[in-house]
Amino acid sequence: MQVYLPIAEMSVDALLLLGIGFGVGWLSGLFGVGGGFLLTPLLILIGIPAPVAVASGANQTIGASVSGLIAQWRRGNVDARMGTVLLVGGFIGSGAGVQLFALLRRAGQVDLAVAIFYVVILGTVGMLMVRESVRSILRRRRTGVAAAKAHEHTWLHGLPFKMRFRKSRLYISVIPPLLVGFGIGILSAIMGVGGGFMLVPAMIYLLGMPTSVVIGTSLFQVVFVAANVTFLQAVQVGTVDIVLTLLLLAGGVVGAQFGASMGTKLRGEETRALLGMLVLSVALGLLYDLVRTPDSLFSIGATP
Amino acid sequence: MIRAAARALLLLLLLAGVARAQPAPASTPQLAADISTDRVEITTGFTGSSVMVFGATERLIGAEGGEDVVVVAWGPPQPTVVRRKVNVLGFWLNGPSTVFRQVPGFYAIAATRPVWQILPEETRRTARLGLDSLPLTASGSQAPAFRAALLELKQQDGRWQEYAHPVTIAGGRLFSARVSFPDTVQTGDYRIEVLLVRDERIVARQALFLRVDRVGTAASIASVARTEPLVYGAVCILLAAIAGWFGSIVFRRN
Repeated sequence: MQVYLPIAEMSVDALLLLGIGFGVGWLSGLFGVGGGFLLTPLLILIGIPAPVAVASGANQTIGASVSGLIAQWRRGNVDARMGTVLLVGGFIGSGAGVQLFALLRRAGQVDLAVAIFYVVILGTVGMLMVRESVRSILRRRRTGVAAAKAHEHTWLHGLPFKMRFRKSRLYISVIPPLLVGFGIGILSAIMGVGGGFMLVPAMIYLLGMPTSVVIGTSLFQVVFVAANVTFLQAVQVGTVDIVLTLLLLAGGVVGAQFGASMGTKLRGEETRALLGMLVLSVALGLLYDLVRTPDSLFSIGATP
Repeated sequence: MIRAAARALLLLLLLAGVARAQPAPASTPQLAADISTDRVEITTGFTGSSVMVFGATERLIGAEGGEDVVVVAWGPPQPTVVRRKVNVLGFWLNGPSTVFRQVPGFYAIAATRPVWQILPEETRRTARLGLDSLPLTASGSQAPAFRAALLELKQQDGRWQEYAHPVTIAGGRLFSARVSFPDTVQTGDYRIEVLLVRDERIVARQALFLRVDRVGTAASIASVARTEPLVYGAVCILLAAIAGWFGSIVFRRN
Protein backbone atom coordinates (compact mmCIF):
# COMPACT_ATOMS: atom_id res chain seq x y z
CA MET A 1 0.00 0.00 0.00
CA GLN A 2 1.67 3.19 -1.19
CA VAL A 3 1.33 6.39 0.75
CA TYR A 4 2.39 9.85 -0.40
CA LEU A 5 4.64 11.74 2.02
CA PRO A 6 3.70 15.42 1.62
CA ILE A 7 6.99 16.92 2.83
CA ALA A 8 9.38 14.36 1.36
CA GLU A 9 7.30 14.68 -1.87
CA MET A 10 7.49 11.01 -2.72
CA SER A 11 5.45 7.89 -2.18
CA VAL A 12 6.62 4.98 -0.06
CA ASP A 13 5.15 1.64 0.91
CA ALA A 14 3.22 2.21 4.15
CA LEU A 15 3.75 -1.42 5.22
CA LEU A 16 7.51 -0.99 4.84
CA LEU A 17 7.42 2.05 7.14
CA LEU A 18 5.23 0.22 9.66
CA GLY A 19 7.65 -2.70 9.53
CA ILE A 20 10.69 -0.49 10.06
CA GLY A 21 8.87 1.23 12.92
CA PHE A 22 8.03 -2.13 14.48
CA GLY A 23 11.57 -3.50 14.15
CA VAL A 24 13.23 -0.41 15.55
CA GLY A 25 10.57 -0.16 18.29
CA TRP A 26 11.16 -3.80 19.22
CA LEU A 27 14.90 -3.25 19.54
CA SER A 28 14.40 -0.04 21.48
CA GLY A 29 12.04 -1.75 23.89
CA LEU A 30 14.51 -4.60 24.27
CA PHE A 31 17.49 -2.38 24.98
CA GLY A 32 15.74 0.58 26.57
CA VAL A 33 17.00 3.14 24.06
CA GLY A 34 15.09 5.38 21.67
CA GLY A 35 16.30 3.63 18.53
CA GLY A 36 16.77 6.83 16.55
CA PHE A 37 20.32 5.82 15.68
CA LEU A 38 18.91 2.84 13.75
CA LEU A 39 15.90 4.62 12.32
CA THR A 40 17.56 7.54 10.54
CA PRO A 41 20.08 5.39 8.58
CA LEU A 42 17.30 2.95 7.64
CA LEU A 43 15.13 5.79 6.31
CA ILE A 44 18.03 7.13 4.27
CA LEU A 45 18.63 3.60 2.99
CA ILE A 46 15.07 3.30 1.61
CA GLY A 47 15.47 6.59 -0.26
CA ILE A 48 14.06 9.23 2.10
CA PRO A 49 16.15 12.41 1.65
CA ALA A 50 18.60 12.83 4.56
CA PRO A 51 17.15 16.16 5.82
CA VAL A 52 13.63 14.67 6.01
CA ALA A 53 14.93 11.47 7.63
CA VAL A 54 16.81 13.42 10.31
CA ALA A 55 13.97 15.85 11.12
CA SER A 56 11.25 13.18 11.13
CA GLY A 57 13.51 10.88 13.13
CA ALA A 58 13.72 13.51 15.85
CA ASN A 59 9.94 13.89 15.71
CA GLN A 60 9.49 10.12 16.03
CA THR A 61 11.83 10.04 19.04
CA ILE A 62 9.36 12.16 21.03
CA GLY A 63 6.63 9.60 20.55
CA ALA A 64 8.95 6.66 21.20
CA SER A 65 10.23 8.13 24.49
CA VAL A 66 7.21 9.89 25.98
CA SER A 67 5.49 6.81 27.41
CA GLY A 68 8.75 5.67 28.99
CA LEU A 69 9.17 9.10 30.55
CA ILE A 70 5.66 9.03 32.03
CA ALA A 71 6.29 5.58 33.52
CA GLN A 72 9.65 6.60 34.99
CA TRP A 73 8.22 9.86 36.34
CA ARG A 74 5.48 7.97 38.20
CA ARG A 75 8.08 5.72 39.80
CA GLY A 76 10.02 8.81 40.89
CA ASN A 77 13.07 7.91 38.80
CA VAL A 78 13.49 11.33 37.19
CA ASP A 79 15.94 13.82 38.68
CA ALA A 80 14.12 16.90 37.41
CA ARG A 81 16.84 19.24 38.64
CA MET A 82 19.60 17.40 36.82
CA GLY A 83 17.27 16.99 33.84
CA THR A 84 16.69 20.74 33.70
CA VAL A 85 20.41 21.53 33.80
CA LEU A 86 21.03 18.98 31.04
CA LEU A 87 18.13 20.45 29.14
CA VAL A 88 19.50 24.00 29.24
CA GLY A 89 22.69 22.67 27.62
CA GLY A 90 20.58 20.55 25.29
CA PHE A 91 18.51 23.49 24.06
CA ILE A 92 21.58 25.58 23.31
CA GLY A 93 23.26 22.60 21.65
CA SER A 94 20.28 21.65 19.50
CA GLY A 95 19.80 25.28 18.46
CA ALA A 96 23.43 25.43 17.34
CA GLY A 97 23.09 22.00 15.72
CA VAL A 98 20.11 23.03 13.59
CA GLN A 99 22.02 26.12 12.41
CA LEU A 100 24.96 23.91 11.51
CA PHE A 101 22.58 21.54 9.74
CA ALA A 102 21.10 24.36 7.63
CA LEU A 103 24.62 25.52 6.79
CA LEU A 104 25.67 22.03 5.72
CA ARG A 105 22.54 21.72 3.62
CA ARG A 106 23.41 24.88 1.72
CA ALA A 107 26.94 23.58 1.17
CA GLY A 108 25.54 20.28 -0.15
CA GLN A 109 27.32 18.23 2.48
CA VAL A 110 24.41 17.06 4.66
CA ASP A 111 24.63 13.43 3.60
CA LEU A 112 28.35 13.31 4.25
CA ALA A 113 28.09 15.07 7.61
CA VAL A 114 25.27 12.81 8.78
CA ALA A 115 27.21 9.72 7.70
CA ILE A 116 30.48 10.83 9.33
CA PHE A 117 28.74 11.75 12.58
CA TYR A 118 27.09 8.33 12.61
CA VAL A 119 30.30 6.44 11.89
CA VAL A 120 32.39 8.29 14.47
CA ILE A 121 29.82 8.43 17.27
CA LEU A 122 28.33 4.98 16.80
CA GLY A 123 31.75 3.43 16.26
CA THR A 124 33.12 4.93 19.47
CA VAL A 125 30.05 4.24 21.59
CA GLY A 126 29.67 0.72 20.20
CA MET A 127 33.28 -0.14 20.89
CA LEU A 128 33.14 1.22 24.45
CA MET A 129 29.92 -0.65 25.16
CA VAL A 130 31.23 -3.97 23.87
CA ARG A 131 34.51 -3.58 25.74
CA GLU A 132 32.84 -2.59 28.99
CA SER A 133 30.23 -5.34 28.91
CA VAL A 134 32.69 -8.06 27.93
CA ARG A 135 34.90 -6.99 30.82
CA SER A 136 32.10 -7.11 33.34
CA ILE A 137 30.90 -10.46 32.00
CA LEU A 138 34.45 -11.81 32.44
CA ARG A 139 34.70 -10.25 35.88
CA ARG A 140 31.42 -11.83 36.93
CA ARG A 141 32.58 -15.23 35.67
CA ARG A 142 35.76 -14.89 37.72
CA THR A 143 34.40 -13.56 40.98
CA GLY A 144 30.79 -14.66 40.78
CA VAL A 145 29.34 -11.17 41.31
CA ALA A 146 29.38 -8.01 39.27
CA ALA A 147 31.71 -5.61 41.01
CA ALA A 148 30.20 -2.29 41.98
CA LYS A 149 32.10 0.75 40.77
CA ALA A 150 33.52 2.80 43.59
CA HIS A 151 32.63 6.47 43.72
CA GLU A 152 35.75 8.20 42.48
CA HIS A 153 36.79 11.80 42.83
CA THR A 154 38.20 13.32 39.65
CA TRP A 155 39.17 16.80 38.46
CA LEU A 156 35.52 17.26 37.48
CA HIS A 157 34.70 17.70 41.15
CA GLY A 158 37.01 20.72 41.41
CA LEU A 159 34.95 22.90 39.05
CA PRO A 160 32.99 25.93 40.31
CA PHE A 161 29.17 26.60 40.31
CA LYS A 162 28.39 23.60 42.43
CA MET A 163 24.80 22.52 42.81
CA ARG A 164 23.11 19.87 44.93
CA PHE A 165 21.19 17.19 43.01
CA ARG A 166 19.28 15.39 45.74
CA LYS A 167 17.76 12.56 43.70
CA SER A 168 21.12 11.74 42.14
CA ARG A 169 22.84 12.13 45.55
CA LEU A 170 25.41 14.41 43.93
CA TYR A 171 27.00 17.73 44.79
CA ILE A 172 28.81 18.74 41.62
CA SER A 173 29.50 21.69 39.37
CA VAL A 174 26.79 22.46 36.75
CA ILE A 175 29.47 22.76 34.03
CA PRO A 176 29.84 19.02 33.22
CA PRO A 177 26.07 18.37 32.86
CA LEU A 178 25.70 21.56 30.81
CA LEU A 179 28.48 20.43 28.46
CA VAL A 180 27.06 16.91 28.23
CA GLY A 181 23.63 18.34 27.39
CA PHE A 182 25.13 20.71 24.84
CA GLY A 183 27.03 17.94 23.07
CA ILE A 184 24.03 15.61 22.96
CA GLY A 185 21.91 18.52 21.67
CA ILE A 186 24.21 19.08 18.69
CA LEU A 187 24.27 15.37 17.85
CA SER A 188 20.52 15.19 18.24
CA ALA A 189 20.02 17.94 15.66
CA ILE A 190 22.42 16.50 13.10
CA MET A 191 21.74 12.81 13.54
CA GLY A 192 18.00 12.97 14.27
CA VAL A 193 18.42 10.87 17.38
CA GLY A 194 17.37 11.37 20.97
CA GLY A 195 20.87 10.55 22.11
CA GLY A 196 19.91 8.19 24.91
CA PHE A 197 22.59 5.70 23.90
CA MET A 198 25.25 8.37 24.50
CA LEU A 199 23.55 10.15 27.39
CA VAL A 200 23.18 7.07 29.57
CA PRO A 201 26.91 6.18 29.61
CA ALA A 202 27.81 9.87 29.99
CA MET A 203 25.58 10.16 33.05
CA ILE A 204 26.95 7.02 34.64
CA TYR A 205 30.65 7.43 33.89
CA LEU A 206 31.13 11.20 33.58
CA LEU A 207 28.62 12.54 36.09
CA GLY A 208 28.57 9.53 38.39
CA MET A 209 24.79 9.39 38.69
CA PRO A 210 23.18 6.31 40.27
CA THR A 211 21.73 3.94 37.64
CA SER A 212 18.25 4.08 39.20
CA VAL A 213 17.64 7.65 38.02
CA VAL A 214 19.72 7.50 34.83
CA ILE A 215 17.07 6.08 32.46
CA GLY A 216 14.28 8.38 33.65
CA THR A 217 16.43 11.50 33.60
CA SER A 218 17.85 10.70 30.17
CA LEU A 219 14.30 10.20 28.84
CA PHE A 220 13.39 13.59 30.30
CA GLN A 221 16.24 15.22 28.40
CA VAL A 222 15.61 13.20 25.22
CA VAL A 223 11.91 14.06 24.97
CA PHE A 224 12.43 17.79 25.36
CA VAL A 225 15.54 18.05 23.18
CA ALA A 226 13.82 16.02 20.44
CA ALA A 227 10.84 18.38 20.71
CA ASN A 228 13.16 21.35 20.36
CA VAL A 229 14.91 19.82 17.35
CA THR A 230 11.57 19.00 15.71
CA PHE A 231 10.36 22.53 16.22
CA LEU A 232 13.55 24.18 14.93
CA GLN A 233 13.80 21.84 11.94
CA ALA A 234 10.15 22.51 11.06
CA VAL A 235 10.68 26.27 11.24
CA GLN A 236 14.17 26.64 9.78
CA VAL A 237 14.60 23.78 7.35
CA GLY A 238 10.96 22.70 6.82
CA THR A 239 11.68 18.99 6.60
CA VAL A 240 9.52 17.38 9.31
CA ASP A 241 7.14 14.92 7.63
CA ILE A 242 4.31 14.18 10.05
CA VAL A 243 2.86 11.38 7.88
CA LEU A 244 6.22 9.61 7.97
CA THR A 245 6.51 10.17 11.73
CA LEU A 246 3.06 8.81 12.54
CA LEU A 247 3.50 5.70 10.38
CA LEU A 248 6.82 4.93 12.09
CA LEU A 249 5.27 5.52 15.51
CA ALA A 250 2.30 3.28 14.73
CA GLY A 251 4.68 0.37 14.16
CA GLY A 252 7.08 1.52 16.84
CA VAL A 253 4.78 1.62 19.88
CA VAL A 254 3.62 -1.95 19.22
CA GLY A 255 7.17 -3.19 18.67
CA ALA A 256 8.43 -1.47 21.81
CA GLN A 257 5.96 -3.33 24.02
CA PHE A 258 7.04 -6.69 22.61
CA GLY A 259 10.68 -5.75 22.95
CA ALA A 260 10.29 -4.56 26.53
CA SER A 261 8.60 -7.76 27.68
CA MET A 262 11.43 -9.76 26.13
CA GLY A 263 14.10 -7.44 27.53
CA THR A 264 13.21 -8.33 31.12
CA LYS A 265 14.43 -11.88 30.44
CA LEU A 266 17.93 -10.76 29.47
CA ARG A 267 20.80 -9.99 31.83
CA GLY A 268 22.18 -6.43 31.90
CA GLU A 269 25.68 -7.21 30.65
CA GLU A 270 24.51 -9.46 27.83
CA THR A 271 21.98 -6.83 26.73
CA ARG A 272 24.68 -4.17 26.67
CA ALA A 273 27.03 -6.40 24.70
CA LEU A 274 24.32 -7.11 22.13
CA LEU A 275 23.40 -3.44 21.88
CA GLY A 276 27.06 -2.53 21.52
CA MET A 277 27.48 -4.99 18.66
CA LEU A 278 24.35 -3.67 16.97
CA VAL A 279 25.62 -0.10 17.25
CA LEU A 280 29.01 -1.16 15.90
CA SER A 281 27.52 -2.97 12.91
CA VAL A 282 25.44 0.09 11.95
CA ALA A 283 28.63 2.18 12.11
CA LEU A 284 30.54 -0.31 9.95
CA GLY A 285 27.72 -0.44 7.39
CA LEU A 286 27.73 3.35 7.09
CA LEU A 287 31.52 3.43 6.90
CA TYR A 288 31.42 0.94 4.04
CA ASP A 289 28.96 3.22 2.22
CA LEU A 290 31.40 6.10 2.54
CA VAL A 291 34.43 4.29 1.16
CA ARG A 292 32.99 2.08 -1.57
CA THR A 293 33.05 3.46 -5.11
CA PRO A 294 29.60 4.94 -5.76
CA ASP A 295 27.45 3.62 -8.63
CA SER A 296 27.17 7.08 -10.08
CA LEU A 297 29.75 9.78 -9.51
CA PHE A 298 27.09 12.44 -9.94
CA SER A 299 23.98 13.33 -8.01
CA ILE A 300 21.26 15.88 -8.65
CA GLY A 301 19.10 17.83 -6.27
CA ALA A 302 16.95 20.89 -5.94
CA THR A 303 18.95 24.05 -5.34
CA PRO A 304 18.88 24.84 -1.63
CA MET B 1 -12.84 4.95 -20.09
CA ILE B 2 -12.21 8.63 -20.79
CA ARG B 3 -9.80 7.68 -23.51
CA ALA B 4 -12.28 5.34 -25.20
CA ALA B 5 -15.10 7.86 -24.96
CA ALA B 6 -12.97 10.67 -26.34
CA ARG B 7 -11.83 8.53 -29.21
CA ALA B 8 -15.37 7.52 -30.09
CA LEU B 9 -16.48 11.15 -29.97
CA LEU B 10 -13.66 12.28 -32.18
CA LEU B 11 -14.28 9.51 -34.64
CA LEU B 12 -17.94 10.54 -34.85
CA LEU B 13 -16.99 14.18 -35.43
CA LEU B 14 -14.52 13.17 -38.04
CA LEU B 15 -16.99 10.95 -39.86
CA ALA B 16 -19.54 13.77 -39.74
CA GLY B 17 -16.96 16.07 -41.29
CA VAL B 18 -16.19 13.62 -44.07
CA ALA B 19 -19.89 13.06 -44.70
CA ARG B 20 -20.47 16.81 -45.18
CA ALA B 21 -18.73 16.51 -48.53
CA GLN B 22 -15.46 18.35 -47.89
CA PRO B 23 -16.06 21.90 -46.59
CA ALA B 24 -13.68 24.71 -47.61
CA PRO B 25 -10.11 23.78 -46.63
CA ALA B 26 -9.43 27.13 -44.97
CA SER B 27 -12.10 26.65 -42.32
CA THR B 28 -10.98 23.15 -41.31
CA PRO B 29 -8.32 23.14 -38.65
CA GLN B 30 -5.36 21.03 -39.62
CA LEU B 31 -5.02 19.83 -36.07
CA ALA B 32 -7.40 19.46 -33.13
CA ALA B 33 -6.18 18.08 -29.82
CA ASP B 34 -7.24 17.78 -26.20
CA ILE B 35 -6.19 16.09 -22.96
CA SER B 36 -8.09 13.59 -20.85
CA THR B 37 -7.88 15.83 -17.80
CA ASP B 38 -6.61 19.33 -17.09
CA ARG B 39 -5.83 18.55 -13.47
CA VAL B 40 -3.56 15.95 -11.88
CA GLU B 41 -4.31 15.55 -8.21
CA ILE B 42 -1.70 14.43 -5.71
CA THR B 43 -3.62 12.67 -2.98
CA THR B 44 -2.31 10.79 0.06
CA GLY B 45 -2.28 7.61 -2.03
CA PHE B 46 -0.55 9.20 -5.04
CA THR B 47 1.93 6.94 -6.82
CA GLY B 48 2.27 8.81 -10.08
CA SER B 49 -0.30 9.47 -12.76
CA SER B 50 -0.71 9.83 -16.47
CA VAL B 51 -2.81 11.89 -18.84
CA MET B 52 -3.87 11.04 -22.36
CA VAL B 53 -3.29 13.54 -25.14
CA PHE B 54 -5.44 12.84 -28.17
CA GLY B 55 -6.66 14.53 -31.30
CA ALA B 56 -7.27 14.38 -34.99
CA THR B 57 -5.59 15.78 -38.06
CA GLU B 58 -7.06 16.84 -41.39
CA ARG B 59 -4.63 14.84 -43.46
CA LEU B 60 -3.38 11.32 -42.95
CA ILE B 61 -0.68 10.75 -40.35
CA GLY B 62 2.15 8.35 -40.96
CA ALA B 63 5.12 7.81 -43.18
CA GLU B 64 3.08 7.54 -46.42
CA GLY B 65 1.03 10.68 -45.79
CA GLY B 66 4.12 12.59 -44.83
CA GLU B 67 2.65 14.16 -41.69
CA ASP B 68 3.95 13.56 -38.19
CA VAL B 69 2.60 14.38 -34.76
CA VAL B 70 4.86 15.50 -31.91
CA VAL B 71 3.65 15.82 -28.31
CA VAL B 72 5.82 17.75 -25.83
CA ALA B 73 5.04 18.27 -22.15
CA TRP B 74 6.76 20.88 -19.98
CA GLY B 75 6.79 21.32 -16.25
CA PRO B 76 7.58 24.53 -14.36
CA PRO B 77 11.28 25.44 -14.26
CA GLN B 78 13.20 23.78 -11.45
CA PRO B 79 16.72 25.03 -10.74
CA THR B 80 18.81 21.90 -10.32
CA VAL B 81 22.23 21.41 -8.83
CA VAL B 82 24.49 18.65 -10.10
CA ARG B 83 27.24 17.49 -7.78
CA ARG B 84 30.22 15.35 -8.53
CA LYS B 85 31.63 13.03 -5.92
CA VAL B 86 35.36 13.12 -5.31
CA ASN B 87 37.54 10.76 -3.35
CA VAL B 88 39.30 12.41 -0.44
CA LEU B 89 41.51 10.14 1.69
CA GLY B 90 39.48 7.13 0.67
CA PHE B 91 36.09 8.73 1.41
CA TRP B 92 33.61 9.72 -1.28
CA LEU B 93 32.18 13.16 -0.75
CA ASN B 94 30.40 15.80 -2.77
CA GLY B 95 32.97 17.88 -4.60
CA PRO B 96 32.47 20.44 -7.37
CA SER B 97 28.92 21.32 -8.29
CA THR B 98 27.16 23.33 -10.92
CA VAL B 99 23.69 24.87 -11.00
CA PHE B 100 21.31 24.71 -13.96
CA ARG B 101 18.87 27.55 -13.36
CA GLN B 102 16.52 27.35 -16.32
CA VAL B 103 15.73 23.67 -16.69
CA PRO B 104 12.20 22.27 -16.66
CA GLY B 105 11.33 20.11 -13.68
CA PHE B 106 9.46 17.85 -16.07
CA TYR B 107 9.94 17.27 -19.78
CA ALA B 108 8.48 14.55 -21.97
CA ILE B 109 8.44 14.19 -25.70
CA ALA B 110 6.58 11.65 -27.81
CA ALA B 111 6.30 11.54 -31.58
CA THR B 112 5.27 9.31 -34.45
CA ARG B 113 8.91 9.39 -35.53
CA PRO B 114 11.92 10.72 -33.58
CA VAL B 115 12.13 14.49 -34.12
CA TRP B 116 15.68 14.35 -35.46
CA GLN B 117 14.32 12.41 -38.41
CA ILE B 118 11.58 14.88 -39.29
CA LEU B 119 12.83 18.38 -38.36
CA PRO B 120 16.06 20.27 -39.06
CA GLU B 121 18.28 21.07 -36.10
CA GLU B 122 17.47 24.78 -36.08
CA THR B 123 13.73 24.21 -35.75
CA ARG B 124 14.28 21.63 -33.04
CA ARG B 125 16.44 24.07 -31.15
CA THR B 126 14.01 27.02 -31.30
CA ALA B 127 11.00 24.84 -30.45
CA ARG B 128 13.10 22.93 -27.89
CA LEU B 129 12.21 19.53 -29.20
CA GLY B 130 14.19 16.65 -27.78
CA LEU B 131 16.41 16.55 -24.72
CA ASP B 132 19.49 17.45 -26.80
CA SER B 133 17.76 20.69 -27.83
CA LEU B 134 17.12 21.92 -24.30
CA PRO B 135 19.24 24.97 -23.49
CA LEU B 136 21.08 23.62 -20.46
CA THR B 137 23.03 26.67 -19.39
CA ALA B 138 25.13 26.07 -16.33
CA SER B 139 26.40 28.58 -13.84
CA GLY B 140 29.59 27.28 -12.37
CA SER B 141 31.64 24.54 -13.92
CA GLN B 142 30.98 24.24 -17.66
CA ALA B 143 32.33 20.71 -17.93
CA PRO B 144 30.19 18.66 -20.33
CA ALA B 145 30.15 15.78 -17.84
CA PHE B 146 27.73 17.76 -15.64
CA ARG B 147 25.27 18.20 -18.52
CA ALA B 148 25.53 14.53 -19.40
CA ALA B 149 24.93 13.58 -15.76
CA LEU B 150 21.91 15.90 -15.54
CA LEU B 151 20.39 14.33 -18.65
CA GLU B 152 21.07 10.81 -17.45
CA LEU B 153 19.86 11.23 -13.86
CA LYS B 154 16.73 13.17 -14.83
CA GLN B 155 15.80 10.43 -17.26
CA GLN B 156 16.55 7.76 -14.68
CA ASP B 157 14.02 9.11 -12.19
CA GLY B 158 11.39 9.59 -14.89
CA ARG B 159 11.19 13.36 -14.75
CA TRP B 160 12.62 13.76 -18.23
CA GLN B 161 11.37 11.34 -20.86
CA GLU B 162 12.24 10.91 -24.50
CA TYR B 163 9.88 8.66 -26.46
CA ALA B 164 8.94 6.74 -23.34
CA HIS B 165 5.46 6.24 -24.76
CA PRO B 166 4.51 5.93 -28.44
CA VAL B 167 2.07 8.14 -30.32
CA THR B 168 -0.50 5.65 -31.53
CA ILE B 169 -2.55 6.27 -34.64
CA ALA B 170 -6.02 4.98 -35.35
CA GLY B 171 -7.86 5.31 -38.64
CA GLY B 172 -5.02 7.30 -40.16
CA ARG B 173 -6.14 10.57 -38.56
CA LEU B 174 -6.73 9.96 -34.87
CA PHE B 175 -3.74 10.02 -32.62
CA SER B 176 -3.19 9.57 -28.93
CA ALA B 177 -0.20 9.65 -26.62
CA ARG B 178 0.26 9.07 -22.93
CA VAL B 179 2.22 11.47 -20.71
CA SER B 180 3.11 9.86 -17.41
CA PHE B 181 4.19 11.68 -14.27
CA PRO B 182 6.30 9.97 -11.60
CA ASP B 183 5.38 10.22 -7.89
CA THR B 184 8.09 12.85 -7.44
CA VAL B 185 6.30 15.24 -9.85
CA GLN B 186 6.34 18.92 -8.88
CA THR B 187 3.17 20.86 -8.41
CA GLY B 188 2.45 23.75 -10.75
CA ASP B 189 1.32 24.60 -14.25
CA TYR B 190 2.26 22.26 -17.07
CA ARG B 191 2.07 22.96 -20.77
CA ILE B 192 1.53 20.31 -23.39
CA GLU B 193 2.18 21.21 -27.01
CA VAL B 194 0.93 19.19 -29.93
CA LEU B 195 2.76 19.90 -33.18
CA LEU B 196 1.97 18.82 -36.68
CA VAL B 197 5.03 18.39 -38.91
CA ARG B 198 5.06 18.21 -42.70
CA ASP B 199 8.04 18.53 -45.07
CA GLU B 200 10.47 19.38 -42.26
CA ARG B 201 8.28 22.26 -41.08
CA ILE B 202 5.90 22.75 -38.19
CA VAL B 203 2.62 23.45 -39.95
CA ALA B 204 0.25 23.60 -36.97
CA ARG B 205 0.53 23.67 -33.22
CA GLN B 206 -1.83 23.62 -30.31
CA ALA B 207 -1.03 24.28 -26.65
CA LEU B 208 -2.90 22.56 -23.86
CA PHE B 209 -2.64 23.33 -20.18
CA LEU B 210 -2.59 21.13 -17.15
CA ARG B 211 -2.28 21.78 -13.46
CA VAL B 212 -0.64 19.46 -10.95
CA ASP B 213 -1.92 20.09 -7.43
CA ARG B 214 -1.83 18.49 -4.07
CA VAL B 215 -5.34 17.85 -2.76
CA GLY B 216 -6.87 16.61 0.48
CA THR B 217 -4.71 15.82 3.48
CA ALA B 218 -1.41 15.92 1.58
CA ALA B 219 -2.25 19.44 0.36
CA SER B 220 -3.22 20.78 3.77
CA ILE B 221 -0.16 19.30 5.48
CA ALA B 222 2.22 20.73 2.90
CA SER B 223 0.57 24.15 2.91
CA VAL B 224 0.44 24.42 6.72
CA ALA B 225 4.09 23.35 6.90
CA ARG B 226 5.03 26.10 4.48
CA THR B 227 2.81 28.96 5.58
CA GLU B 228 2.62 28.30 9.34
CA PRO B 229 5.85 26.52 10.27
CA LEU B 230 5.50 27.49 13.94
CA VAL B 231 2.05 25.94 14.21
CA TYR B 232 3.12 22.94 12.14
CA GLY B 233 6.16 22.29 14.34
CA ALA B 234 4.08 22.49 17.51
CA VAL B 235 1.40 20.18 16.09
CA CYS B 236 4.04 17.63 15.02
CA ILE B 237 5.43 17.55 18.57
CA LEU B 238 1.97 17.16 20.12
CA LEU B 239 0.83 14.49 17.66
CA ALA B 240 3.99 12.43 18.16
CA ALA B 241 3.70 12.69 21.96
CA ILE B 242 0.01 11.74 21.93
CA ALA B 243 0.59 8.88 19.50
CA GLY B 244 3.41 7.48 21.63
CA TRP B 245 1.48 7.80 24.88
CA PHE B 246 -1.77 6.45 23.45
CA GLY B 247 -0.01 3.56 21.74
CA SER B 248 1.75 2.46 24.90
CA ILE B 249 -1.59 2.31 26.73
CA VAL B 250 -3.38 0.37 24.01
CA PHE B 251 -0.61 -2.13 23.34
CA ARG B 252 0.65 -2.61 26.90
CA ARG B 253 1.61 -6.23 27.48
CA ASN B 254 1.81 -6.99 31.19
